[in-house]
Amino acid sequence: MTSFQSTLEDEVGIAEELAENQQAISIAEFFEKNKHMLGFDSGARGLVTAVKEAVDNALDAAEEAGIAPDIYVEIEEAGDYYRLIVEDNGPGLTKESLPKVFGKLLYGSRFHAREQSRGQQGIGISAAVLYAQLTSGKPAKITSRTQGASEAQYFELIVDTDANEPEISVEETSSWDRPHGTRIELEMEANMRARGQLHDYIKHTAVVNPHARLELREPKNHFKFERATDQLPAETEEIRPHPHGVELGTVMKMLTATDSQTISGFLQEEFTRVGKKTAESIIDEFRDRYYGREMRWRPPTARDDVDIGAAVSAATANKGADATAAFAEAIADAVADHDRIAHHELVAAVDVAAEDVEADHGTTFGDTVRENAVEAVWLNVIDAADDAETDADATVEHTAESRLVADLQALADDATSTRKDDEVIYAFAERLAATFEDEHEAENVRHRLTRTRLREFVDRAAALTEEYDDVTFGETARENVTDAVWDVMATVPDDPPLVRELDNDRDATSNLVDGMRAADIMAPPTRCLAPITEELITAGLQKEFDADFYASATRDAEVHSGDPFIVEAGIAYGGEIAAEGSADVMRFANRVPLVYQRGACATTDVVKSIGWRNYGLDQPGGSGVPNGPAVIMVHVASTNVPFTSESKDAVANVPEIEDEIELAIREAARELKSYLNKRRSMQQRRKKQNVLGKILPEMAEKVAEVTGREEPDIDDAVARIMNNVLVERSVKENGDGQAVSVTVENNSNTTESLEITDILTAEPTNLSEDATVVEMDGEWFVKWDINVSSDDEAALEYVVANDATFDLDIKGVESEKLTVSA
Amino acid sequence: MSADNDQQAREQLIDLAAQFYDQFELGEIPHMSVPTRTKNNIEYDEETGVWVYGDRESTRSANSVRGARKLLKAVYTIEFLADQLEEDRSSTLRELYYLSESWDNNEAQFSDQDESNGLIEDLEIVSGVTREDFHMRPEESGATIMGPLHLREQTRRGEREIHCQKDVGEGGYQIPNNPDTIEFLNSEADFVLAVETGGMRDRLVENGFDEEYNALIVHLKGQPARATRRIIKRLHDELDLPVTVFADGDPWSYRIYGSVAYGSIKSAHLSEYLATPAAQYIGIQPADIVEYDLPTDPLSDSDINALESELEDPRFQTDYWEEQIELQLEIGKKSEQQSLAARGLDFVTETYLPERLSEMGVI
Repeated sequence: MTSFQSTLEDEVGIAEELAENQQAISIAEFFEKNKHMLGFDSGARGLVTAVKEAVDNALDAAEEAGIAPDIYVEIEEAGDYYRLIVEDNGPGLTKESLPKVFGKLLYGSRFHAREQSRGQQGIGISAAVLYAQLTSGKPAKITSRTQGASEAQYFELIVDTDANEPEISVEETSSWDRPHGTRIELEMEANMRARGQLHDYIKHTAVVNPHARLELREPKNHFKFERATDQLPAETEEIRPHPHGVELGTVMKMLTATDSQTISGFLQEEFTRVGKKTAESIIDEFRDRYYGREMRWRPPTARDDVDIGAAVSAATANKGADATAAFAEAIADAVADHDRIAHHELVAAVDVAAEDVEADHGTTFGDTVRENAVEAVWLNVIDAADDAETDADATVEHTAESRLVADLQALADDATSTRKDDEVIYAFAERLAATFEDEHEAENVRHRLTRTRLREFVDRAAALTEEYDDVTFGETARENVTDAVWDVMATVPDDPPLVRELDNDRDATSNLVDGMRAADIMAPPTRCLAPITEELITAGLQKEFDADFYASATRDAEVHSGDPFIVEAGIAYGGEIAAEGSADVMRFANRVPLVYQRGACATTDVVKSIGWRNYGLDQPGGSGVPNGPAVIMVHVASTNVPFTSESKDAVANVPEIEDEIELAIREAARELKSYLNKRRSMQQRRKKQNVLGKILPEMAEKVAEVTGREEPDIDDAVARIMNNVLVERSVKENGDGQAVSVTVENNSNTTESLEITDILTAEPTNLSEDATVVEMDGEWFVKWDINVSSDDEAALEYVVANDATFDLDIKGVESEKLTVSA
Repeated sequence: MSADNDQQAREQLIDLAAQFYDQFELGEIPHMSVPTRTKNNIEYDEETGVWVYGDRESTRSANSVRGARKLLKAVYTIEFLADQLEEDRSSTLRELYYLSESWDNNEAQFSDQDESNGLIEDLEIVSGVTREDFHMRPEESGATIMGPLHLREQTRRGEREIHCQKDVGEGGYQIPNNPDTIEFLNSEADFVLAVETGGMRDRLVENGFDEEYNALIVHLKGQPARATRRIIKRLHDELDLPVTVFADGDPWSYRIYGSVAYGSIKSAHLSEYLATPAAQYIGIQPADIVEYDLPTDPLSDSDINALESELEDPRFQTDYWEEQIELQLEIGKKSEQQSLAARGLDFVTETYLPERLSEMGVI
């Protein structure tokens, strides 16, 4: 990337200010003024922010080097201060870059890159260092060991707050047990009041980074979060900016810096998703704004009593009768071929005619001749031929036959509501035509207008119509007429200015930016993003929450102001999650947990706006965060996550992002709903089974009593009532052995797949074909996998010695749905 | 009531239990089907001239928890009834309800009396035995007869011969729960006059209407009990007496008439045994309200609903009733029997009833 990219970030308000003013104010002063924006407004929060910045940095460092992160965080009391130690197993830092990374604000590998990463501005960790230095006066103690290095480097580092330059006060080699990595030790004024947020941060980090191992040691606590996967997040690639997402100032700087000569080259070179065709469509949009379009009029027809040929002939002198006639005819034909014709189209037609006639007749039709011909024909096309011959200052009298009026009337009539009567439209068209006449007189012979100017014409004509004809000609009608006329107007073929001509031309550049936004351009590529993926979200949730159910959803990439983004959501439900109170909402941006400013975050807003009752969760009042044993997580990954402030605590309410958050949550919630429904139906089934399991035997007993018979066998009836799968064993003596039959009867409405294992104490013979037998330690495992469709039966049969015993194990059917009598 | 009869009833009940037994043994879901007891499932039986159940059936099946409880209760009740028949005892419907509390199984206990009453009806229908034959009686019948009728009643304490005018006090002869224990000996009555309210019945007796017109005044006490309906039917069938019904002029009273004449929806299985299709309605008719300019109350919403549902009731789909009900809906008013007192205490016996009865050709 070229260096101007350093200003591409939308988030750099402070950074720019900082960079520009570093001469004027000291960095310490700046920090003091802005520490709340950076997340260091109190001792409690400062500690959390410092941990957060250091851990984010550590994770990024390890991941970039393709190493599964192993991060150790320690917080210990050190007299009046707290000591924070963060160690990672990243690639380590070189002696040159190390002080800058930790000691200079705005230094970082991520800052220039348009790809998803945790840190972006290079403020975070250096701000933590500065905060520590300002509150405790102690230097940052940094140990780093690069891969393969035999020894680690130890530095003590302070920031020269006047110059924003790091100063290394101590430098020595030391030994360290990690083969590579970085360790930073900061002493700062802090307290542990924000312990909750700190734990949330570490735990949430563990959830979204299932590939990382985290350890947190506090004065009184010790947490370990082990890896759930070895799979590192997909590597991201940088992308160039997308034309829809850049702003005027950025484009101006890019224009100054580019090597390209032409706008087309500039667009293709500096932006993503811009090829030759897209560049051309952007340039067309630019032309419409920069040059305006030319009005295309309907050429005169035979009925109009206008002889184009004669006009050409009259304007052409000294070219010989034949050639002149051929020239005139060729032009007349070309014009007649056009449904509508603009000035530049006429010029092109005349050029073609001139060259054709030159070739046929050997007569040269020079520029002057061509210009004369164009003028003669054009005046006829715009119905101004008479004016040119007579007094140009005379008031133009438009007769009812004026073709411009008729032309505009037809356009206006189609564009306005049918309620406007013809007279009004005619009067309006007349006035609009008059404005074009005025343009003609004002030397804009070509009728070249920008849309804004056209709208002014329409407004003027409409205002006059309202005034004189006492009708309303409202905003919608004006806009429609403007659109209709603009649509028939033609983009001019003028060459766009060169890049150097645009340089420092604010208005022209603004036209270009507008053109870029208006053009239809493919969404930016998503290889710059690394979503966690559904699978790993579930793994992360499973790792940290002992729940009954997990669901996750990863949406396809979308774009907000030129930056691609992906939203993911996950839900964990039940199990050990506290059932009291409202569900936990975990918010993440680029894999970083957001622990502060919950209420200001778009994520929270969306969670609150969803009707959770539809998904089976309790939601008092039908809105707000739902109640119950649930954890809802949302991850927004983007090359540029729009935060509400520099401290990056809350995602801003960008409609495109909110929509995707909602869709992602709903996707996961739908799974939750079907799980809860199923659970509910199983509960009901269990309840029914419990009640019926009591009533039916009692009924059978009573019936037997009343009728004076033996108690009847009710298993089949029960299985049928419960829509159950009934597994029954029947045994028949068969000479020296017993014939065993295990029957599966499916009374449910769906096909059931069962895995049946019958464990025998003797070897079976005459086994059914679809069953297999394995002997282990004197026991025979008869395995039988079977699909039984609704209302169907299947049987497993074998013969076994008389003294054999059986033990049946059935899988594949919920126990609520299973009746076994074996 | 013979021991044979009891034995047969008992066997029929046990057959029902055996049916459940067999269903269990066959691996079927135990169930029993009974005709649906709603007005949409009653139809006119041309032969007997009464309304009986149609073909629609409801199934009580152990498929659901509710159904299983119902069947469990049915089996417990069957046992109870069979025992009762064996011991030749009887009990009331209310006693059955309370008695279920003593059963060893909570699930078999009734939650309200409607449930136990409904179950007895189910058993009656399925077994084809009337509840009188199960020795189940309503808690009170209470209905009375006053008039020139001489009868013999088989009581538990021996036979009694009673004259329903001379041997009884002001209250009249009390109809027993099972009127089939009565034998009619002699009657000088010309017609039966069934009266809805006690006040009107007393007025008629006080004014000596039964003596003057040889009327058998049967007090219906609101919606008549089975015994009352049964005895009316027997008086009509055996003594060939015309039957007339005198009730209030409101939709609920028309239903009282309906159950005397056509049989009630709840006991349509017994219509043949209880209904008197020839019974005639005296009034108060909506037409009387107009004609005699009786004091009225406005129809309430529930009255209007009841009238409208009667228009759809197959039992009331006759020209006479459609005309009367539509008239009532039109005037929007109802009157009680006793509103006739507005014309004097004797108006009903001296003017209204003689006029109506001669119009109807009864006297």
